[in-house]
Amino acid sequence: MIMPAATRQQAKIETEVRAVETALRRDVVRIRYEISEDWSGQWAIFFRVVLSDDAAKHRLRETARKVESRLAERLDFQELGVFAYHNFRSESEQAALREEAWA
Amino acid sequence: MAFADDLLKDAYHLAGRGGKNPKQSSLRRAVSTAYYAAFHLLIADFVANWALPEQRARLGRMFEHRRMSGAALSFRDKRNPTPAESELQRLISQFTKLQNDRYEADYDVGRKWSRSDVENTLALATEIFNTWRGVRNEKVAQHHLMSMFGARRD
Repeated sequence: MIMPAATRQQAKIETEVRAVETALRRDVVRIRYEISEDWSGQWAIFFRVVLSDDAAKHRLRETARKVESRLAERLDFQELGVFAYHNFRSESEQAALREEAWA
Repeated sequence: MAFADDLLKDAYHLAGRGGKNPKQSSLRRAVSTAYYAAFHLLIADFVANWALPEQRARLGRMFEHRRMSGAALSFRDKRNPTPAESELQRLISQFTKLQNDRYEADYDVGRKWSRSDVENTLALATEIFNTWRGVRNEKVAQHHLMSMFGARRD
């Protein structure tokens, strides 16, 4: 199995993700991610983004697009050999769902 | 386009069910329905070009999900895409995301959906509708539909 470049550049990915998290901290609580295959067997990076309740309630799509574009500005997904997927939930939704992968 | 629009409305209806405590089943159905709305939006335009109306449904059933997201866009000049090509590239990316969401909604029983995530997915589907309606009459868009169907470029 050929692994994507992303698996060898985890330190860079980590740095850039934290930078986006910091830049958008008014609306973004934290960003978690993992590299694995998607439904079709293509390599992908799956971002799990916890938003503030206010951002999720009042400007969800706007914030989501901002997160997606900031990540894409800092990480060349094509070069990393992955397709980027983004999932979102609010702080209160995470508090109710209590999933470790999002904590 | 009525069927695709109705499906998208249904998706919003399903996502809104359950008040503050939505059932996972409603959220999953909302995501799946939103994907099928986008799927039917695209194939309806493709089959509309087929001369025999009675064969259009049969033709639509020949579309394969995997092939649809795997079709590569042919740029006239990749370093200098036209506005239509840029829009189409965005649509392809949105459709790929929606397709993965649909797969997880239908088959990944371990995944828990939040309403925010579902609302974002529905917004993505709505953007696909808007983007497609903006470019559907462009030649490059019609060519890309052919690629989604599985036809090779010349």
